[in-house]
Amino acid sequence: MAVERVKVIQNILSGNDQVAERNRERFDEASVLAVNVMASPGAGKTSVIVRTMEALRGRARVGVIEGDIAGSIDTERVLKAGAVDAIQINTGGNCHLEANMIQKALDGLDLSALDLLFIENVGNLVCPTHWALGEHIRLCVLSTAEGDDKPVKYPEIFATSDVIVLNKIDLIELVDFDREFFYESVYALNPQVPVFEISCRTGTGVAEWAEWLVANRVEMPEVLMVERV
Amino acid sequence: MHEFGVMMYLLDAVEEKARELNASRVLVINLVIGDRASIVEDSLDYYFDQMTPGTLAEGARLSMRRVPMRFKCLNCENMFTPVNGTFRCPVCDSVGQVTEEGSEFLIESIEIER
Repeated sequence: MAVERVKVIQNILSGNDQVAERNRERFDEASVLAVNVMASPGAGKTSVIVRTMEALRGRARVGVIEGDIAGSIDTERVLKAGAVDAIQINTGGNCHLEANMIQKALDGLDLSALDLLFIENVGNLVCPTHWALGEHIRLCVLSTAEGDDKPVKYPEIFATSDVIVLNKIDLIELVDFDREFFYESVYALNPQVPVFEISCRTGTGVAEWAEWLVANRVEMPEVLMVERV
Repeated sequence: MHEFGVMMYLLDAVEEKARELNASRVLVINLVIGDRASIVEDSLDYYFDQMTPGTLAEGARLSMRRVPMRFKCLNCENMFTPVNGTFRCPVCDSVGQVTEEGSEFLIESIEIER
């Protein structure tokens, strides 16, 4: 029987990408800016979300989708900090979120009541990188305590992020974090990427980061920032 | 660990393509995977063996062409694969710039029987 070789040339995860595009359409229709928050465990993903919400209080209605292997501690934390709505996805061992998990979660979330949606990915610097969720902004959070060599060791996440938040900047002197080496590696992978140095503990730099973030929403079509007290 | 999910989507895509082509079975799946994708081949092979029985790809061979991550030196234009935990050029020690080479994540072709 004749064997035939057929060209395909298709992204391996195109099935996931298609679902991500549909999620994106839902975000766009509701004028919700969606942010995929990626980092290793303990870098401060939830703290960054909480601090950003505090900085934008009265200016943006924030929702959160929390991806964790188990538990709902983070959901409780963001609701307490003022999130309008929060949904927990337990991946049951899966190391990253996939677009269809977000699609399902969106059925339980009223997007029309939100301006900003944080999707907190599972703590991991490798696996979330290849799975588009439909987000507008890919945020990578790194903490100084993890070390300045993370861009060299995990290049893809730094190469494909739209913005980087360097958290725990108050610890920088204590953990021998070489700023010059870090920036050199980051810009080798992603020359234009904005980097914000912040401390969720002291509040340093949070306001600048939050302003940058909402400016992205203002640029979305047909958006009126909701002004509330 | 994300190889499980990758294999699920990969097999879905292959199965869909094979049906489109009226294939009776798939003999080879040719992938191109850049090192930036952090894919563990053994793990991919493992899930392939676990998940293909009963599909058109049962008994097929999974062929992977790996592409190393390549940087271009901004100073001397040397192309290099980073070594020793730095993105500096091994020739002139200037900082390089990442290129698209090594970010491939593709089903390149399938070999089928009709």
